[in-house]
Amino acid sequence: MQLIKNKTNIDFIGKRKIAVYISTLVNLAILVGIAVFGFNFGVDFAGGTVVELKFKSAISPAEVRKRAEDGGLHDVSVQGIGSSDENTFLLRMGGVTQLTEQNAETAKASLQSLGSVSNVYADLSNGIINFRSASTLAPQAIKAAVEKAGTGVQEVRELGSAQGGSGFDYQVVASGMADKVFSALSQGQASPDFEQRRVDYVGPQVGKQLRNRGIMALVYAMFAILVYVAFRFDFKFGPGALLAMLHDVVMVAGFYLVSRREFNLTSIAALLTIVGYSVNDTIVIYDRIREDMNKYQGKPLAEVINIAINDTLGRTILTSGTTALSLVGLLIFGVGEIWDFAAAMLVGILVGTYSSVYIASPLTIWLDERAAAREGKAPLDPKTA
Amino acid sequence: MDRGWWWKFGVIVAVTLGTVWFLVPTYYSLAVLDRAERNNLAVLQERLPAWAPPAKYRLNLGLDLQGGIHMVMRVDTKTALQKRTERRGQQIVRYITQDKKLGELKADSNPERLTLTLTAADPATMDAIEKEVLTTFNDFTKVSREGATLTLAPDESQTSFFRGEAVDQAMLVIRNRIDKWGVAELDVRKMGTDSIQISLPGRSDPEQAKELVGTTAQLEFRMVDDTNPGFFQQMLEKTPPPENSNITVTSEEGFPQLQGPNREAMLGYVKDKVPEAREVLLECVANPLKKNECLSYRTYLVEKESPLTGESLSSADARFSELNEPEVNITFDAAGAREFERLTEAGTGRRMAIILDDYVQSAPRINEKIAGGSARITMGNPGGKSREEWFSEAQTLALVLKAGALPAPVTTGEIRQVGASMGDELIRKGSLAAIVGLALVVAFMALYYKGAGLIADAALLLNGLLILAGLAIFNATLTLPGIAGFVLTLGVAVDANVLINERIREELSHGKTARQAVDQGYDRAFWTIFDSHVTALIAGFILFATGTGPIRGFATTLIVGLIASLYTSIVVTRTITTYFVHGRNAQTVSV
Repeated sequence: MQLIKNKTNIDFIGKRKIAVYISTLVNLAILVGIAVFGFNFGVDFAGGTVVELKFKSAISPAEVRKRAEDGGLHDVSVQGIGSSDENTFLLRMGGVTQLTEQNAETAKASLQSLGSVSNVYADLSNGIINFRSASTLAPQAIKAAVEKAGTGVQEVRELGSAQGGSGFDYQVVASGMADKVFSALSQGQASPDFEQRRVDYVGPQVGKQLRNRGIMALVYAMFAILVYVAFRFDFKFGPGALLAMLHDVVMVAGFYLVSRREFNLTSIAALLTIVGYSVNDTIVIYDRIREDMNKYQGKPLAEVINIAINDTLGRTILTSGTTALSLVGLLIFGVGEIWDFAAAMLVGILVGTYSSVYIASPLTIWLDERAAAREGKAPLDPKTA
Repeated sequence: MDRGWWWKFGVIVAVTLGTVWFLVPTYYSLAVLDRAERNNLAVLQERLPAWAPPAKYRLNLGLDLQGGIHMVMRVDTKTALQKRTERRGQQIVRYITQDKKLGELKADSNPERLTLTLTAADPATMDAIEKEVLTTFNDFTKVSREGATLTLAPDESQTSFFRGEAVDQAMLVIRNRIDKWGVAELDVRKMGTDSIQISLPGRSDPEQAKELVGTTAQLEFRMVDDTNPGFFQQMLEKTPPPENSNITVTSEEGFPQLQGPNREAMLGYVKDKVPEAREVLLECVANPLKKNECLSYRTYLVEKESPLTGESLSSADARFSELNEPEVNITFDAAGAREFERLTEAGTGRRMAIILDDYVQSAPRINEKIAGGSARITMGNPGGKSREEWFSEAQTLALVLKAGALPAPVTTGEIRQVGASMGDELIRKGSLAAIVGLALVVAFMALYYKGAGLIADAALLLNGLLILAGLAIFNATLTLPGIAGFVLTLGVAVDANVLINERIREELSHGKTARQAVDQGYDRAFWTIFDSHVTALIAGFILFATGTGPIRGFATTLIVGLIASLYTSIVVTRTITTYFVHGRNAQTVSV
């Protein structure tokens, strides 16, 4: 059995300009789209709270939303998951602690009414209020004061007598949004008719840290691979491989952009795998080009590349095909993140194969032509003569 | 078959058998043990047949697969820094007004910007004060000076050192606490500059977890009851400990104590055997290789009353003494100093236990009455330890003291709870997905490349086993993205065989004989395979180095898989294929 005839002779290189134009347009459109619409960042990166609730009796998403609003939760999104008879919902909202700029102000006023309280300082990112009091205060009184201001309290800490000046230091830790969800939805009920199955809870700081590290990982990986290719092949092969990688990463990012699938840590893993795979594919063709350059010495590089691409067409399609085949199971049976990952990989494999033919090779030809032109002109340039 | 072939196949068979052997603990932990016992290494070790590898070489299931709690705690280094700035402010005032007598001085700190403002009562004295402060307290730099007011800010390098220390302290406390909870496979590690990542497999109550790790550490000083040194020995003689609890009597400075590997067994044994107003507390003997783990526990009989707590402690530092021995210097505040003097006077010759969160950290002997609120704990005989290790013990003790005394509060940055039932569902779907993907690839290879395809299939299956065994040897954790990585790596492994087979076909179409085609096919494909694997490995290593949690799991699978793929495609299939054309002298090759 054979998929591709031994001797194809398709003029890939002749059509390279059209392909490069189209690719550039699509890539630009994706980058603009990312700038304008942004990704649908998951809690991993955006920060916030996600609570999964399973209700004991049938309830519609609209009813859940109404109960949340009645309980005082205003910007919460409610999404049903699983089949409708499972009565399971994901509730998402921004923020990790109940401490916001607004209620920190009210809490401050409320604390100051307790007596001679000074140095009130609310640390919003940690959900903490620090303050000093001239006399000792009962933790219950502090808790009540802050709760009156509308912020749930997880813990009141007595930090002991102040070291600078006189007085006693206290610290109030605000409770998380999940507690708020729980109390909002169980309002007016003897016992909650739902069960909290999962709480995902990522602070904005942690989210930012994760995102930056993910992006840095991508940059490091691309740079390391560039160095390896330049070292193993020739300098003029390096930029082509790099550009093909960038192209593929942007295309897969485009998948996340257009499909509105959640962009999270696993997505970064998918992008990094694409980087590895893309260069893998490019190298198979580069390898053949290098071999054919020795075989057909004297032929122009563009022609040699065309022969190499045609010769390796069978294996290029087969290798991409078998890898895609291994993803089929994940696409059929995978759920949630797994499916997203497999779909992103599939997009990556397809564009990876395309880019090694139409992006990596043309840039190599272009660099080669420029080098040749510069050499030809060199004697005319007095500075280099 | 001649000798060369026996040898080559022998190696391949040995590697394959080794692979299967290493998967035995994994098989037992996943298929033989109940889910409740899955994370219990001791139970697994008991059930394993004698010929199997040790229980620790088994593949763990990640939180996303078996359920549990993942949390990231943020250490509030800012509050800790603010406290420190204030303390330094008080020290400066004391130094200037009492030691140097340069004039009256007042210190205020700004909690938000962490600056320290010094105001002199008499503006004329400020020049001299400024000079003295800037030279003596050089961990602070000058921000501005307006008349009698000098504003200082902590030095950048000091701040970052202090931040790191605050995170180390918090980690120590968290480890202590969770250890008390008895979670197997506990993973506590530093993340970024001020966060700590904690994994609690098999746990399901995030509120309880938050409470456990989130409260302030409790440091206490209590007297050790050494009035009856043979207490533990007598206890052991009176009622022998339960069998296989491995509790033995050891001795510390001539005081007998019990030592055993299992915390619960120790506590269960001493329960109800303790005299009134006394309590038995444990000390964790850390595993020298894995500081995270307690190798065993030692007992101390201590008084229940704790006259002195961490609140009275104002500083603790490790340094070398005049005799060049490591020691820890501790300072108490005024009330603490009085109490400490009373305690040391009454308890000269006895030991004082330093207790953090109910764990004895150290029990130095009191040599004499200590007045003035500052004391030295000398670190005793090094006993075969290097100078660095000796000093690092002092540093650890200083850290412990500070952890209890100067709380850098921790708050929850992230909590994820994964239900176990959901985990089971995902395992089922994930494995089904992997199997279907694999089956499709296997069928395709056999149909498309016939004989060579079957060899590639065998290599592929071996590859799958190698990945699992590799992960088991590294004691890695299999996560959901890890399963995806597994499937993908198998896809890439097939790539290598496709490359080789296509090359062989090409050589055959050029009219080469079977032998030449196979040899050249492998030779020429080698560098392509090598290059493509190395580049993917680069991506994998970077992913591993920078990633956290599930990404690391994915990267581990990818790395192990790529190495396995290099072995199967270059060594295994080549040996088998060449055996057919060279060894058996086949004239054709089925490809």
